[in-house]
Amino acid sequence: MPQDDIVVRGLTKRFGTLTAVDDISFAVRRGEVFGILGPNGAGKTTTLECIEGLQDPTAGEISVLDLDPQRESRRVKERIGIQLQASTYFDNLKVRELLNLFGSLYPKRLPIDGLLEQFDLTEKANAFLRDLSGGQQQRFTIAATLINDPEVIFLDEPTAGLDPHARHGVWEFIEEMRREGRTVVLTTHYMEEAEALCDRVAIMNEGRIAALDTPQGLVDALDAPHEVRARVEPTPEPVAGDELHALPAVVGVRMTDDGGLALRSSDAAKSVPAFFRWAEKSEVAVTRIEMRPATLEDVFLAVTGRALAEEA
Amino acid sequence: MLVTTIITQFKAFARDRQAIFWTLAFPLIFVTAFGLFDIGGDDLSVHTVAVVDYAGNDLSRGIIDDLDALESFEVALRSDPAMARQEIRDGDLRYLMTIPADIVQRVEEGRAAAVSFVFDETRSDAFAVLGQLQRFLDQQNLDLVDAPRPIIFAPEGVRTEDSDDWDYFNFLLPGLLAMGVMNFSIIGLATVLATYRERRVFKRILATPMPVSVFFTSMISSNLVLTLAQSAILLAAGVFLFDGSVRGSLAQFFLIILLGNLIFLSIGFITGAFAKSAQAAAGMGNAVTLPMMFLSGTFFPTDTLPSVLGAIVEFLPLWPVLALLRGIALDARNFWEFPFELGLLAAWIVAAAFIASRVFRFRS
Repeated sequence: MPQDDIVVRGLTKRFGTLTAVDDISFAVRRGEVFGILGPNGAGKTTTLECIEGLQDPTAGEISVLDLDPQRESRRVKERIGIQLQASTYFDNLKVRELLNLFGSLYPKRLPIDGLLEQFDLTEKANAFLRDLSGGQQQRFTIAATLINDPEVIFLDEPTAGLDPHARHGVWEFIEEMRREGRTVVLTTHYMEEAEALCDRVAIMNEGRIAALDTPQGLVDALDAPHEVRARVEPTPEPVAGDELHALPAVVGVRMTDDGGLALRSSDAAKSVPAFFRWAEKSEVAVTRIEMRPATLEDVFLAVTGRALAEEA
Repeated sequence: MLVTTIITQFKAFARDRQAIFWTLAFPLIFVTAFGLFDIGGDDLSVHTVAVVDYAGNDLSRGIIDDLDALESFEVALRSDPAMARQEIRDGDLRYLMTIPADIVQRVEEGRAAAVSFVFDETRSDAFAVLGQLQRFLDQQNLDLVDAPRPIIFAPEGVRTEDSDDWDYFNFLLPGLLAMGVMNFSIIGLATVLATYRERRVFKRILATPMPVSVFFTSMISSNLVLTLAQSAILLAAGVFLFDGSVRGSLAQFFLIILLGNLIFLSIGFITGAFAKSAQAAAGMGNAVTLPMMFLSGTFFPTDTLPSVLGAIVEFLPLWPVLALLRGIALDARNFWEFPFELGLLAAWIVAAAFIASRVFRFRS
């Protein structure tokens, strides 16, 4: 049984009358990449900051590396790495100077040249942060997070606003952290990011954890692990929805944005032949059909009743 | 940890052109402007005397050269007496001396030759200057007859403590220094703090094991060093370029600047605590410093304010700082000779620090 690096019990954080985090509990195992997935305002960042010791919880218990992040804040901060946006670093200092400065704040630090090399910033060592591209700035913030060779790393929306190429670059750095045996906790509202990177995912919504499992486990637990997408002509009347819903193993019907049909099915082998029979009887032509396994997107929709992408 | 942090703060400051302009160039412009324009009038100790010389011989030229050689007089030759009189009426000239054409003839014949003086009688110091001119002519007479001088005149000037006869630039210099420090610490610090808050630099600091107290110690110590450097540069400019001076102890002078800066730093923290953005901080900082600058006597003595207002401005934090700086710089006194001002200063240091520690929040 691997050791838990982070244990959260009954964490609650209120700001005035607003409850940002509402009585949540979970644990993060040593060496895993743990994702907190949810729309803006779900309480992801507040949860992270309570664990990091940047905010005091209203109620609940937290332990990080068997230490109390509020009472033993300094000892915790020496052993964790917190990624923050490039804008939070001092202006008018160069990349190497910033790494030097932040390195000087820790008893243990990694060699700066090695970090620059690893994050492909050697050529930018004497440049000001503001003169770096968005991707370079992001790489810098990750390099700076590693300066103290941390055991646990917190990444808050590590790829927000990055182009796909830069995003995949960041994913590789996170994979590298996993290989080095570091524990990683990240927040994201990108489904594919959570699916690609995380060993386990907690889905947060309105301050609570709606579901927590491996990405596959979350999908498997759905009542409808498959989705059948079809395009028919002419487009059926809304009344057809009831007929479709009555087909075998169909648990949900909706129109997709591009005017197609999407059926959530608990058993595609039963639903698909029944769908073709319905089409023949209703005299509509099926111009295209595809079947795909459910994703975290569907899990999110199922547990929160909302589509994640709309919120983001 | 602390040393690296302080050094990087200096580095960051040295690269911030805007900050350098407001801290150094801006007050230097003030010092230069006041030094060059010499507002406050002419040098009171040198008087220009226009001379119309009708004689134009060795005797008259000797008198003119002797007058010009005196430290307190400067000769300006004129040929047209009517125009010179007009210059006096216009206020461009104060004294006109006319040497008659027959001066040598009369001296040789033993008759008195009248050297006439026209002067601006609206000037309160005119008669004192005429007295000096009269003494000058007496000397000339004694020289002419080669008379012995058993008794000689040996004057020595001493300043009264409430002397009105002050040098305006020397009065101004401590004010400009205090203004520079005040603007740097209040406006500069408030702007930096608001920027840090906006950009969540505080969170970046909180995320490291560096204690918040160390971070603030580094901010405050780099500010103290930079303000001392600023004052030293401004003072050097005033002294070497424009003949300014600090008559009393320089160490005491800088000690008062340092103590006054503690108040301004606290006010900077208070302003920074309330400002929502860097721009708001600059505006609020100016709203605090500008009235204080004019009311507390940066540019003119507060004695000239109406008595009620004059009594009120003594309770502005800048006032005791200026009073102490001028006591040291102008009257060569020691700071402990000003218990009232020192009390006000101490009260402000404590009160401002207390309020700052109450209202400034590191966590947002």
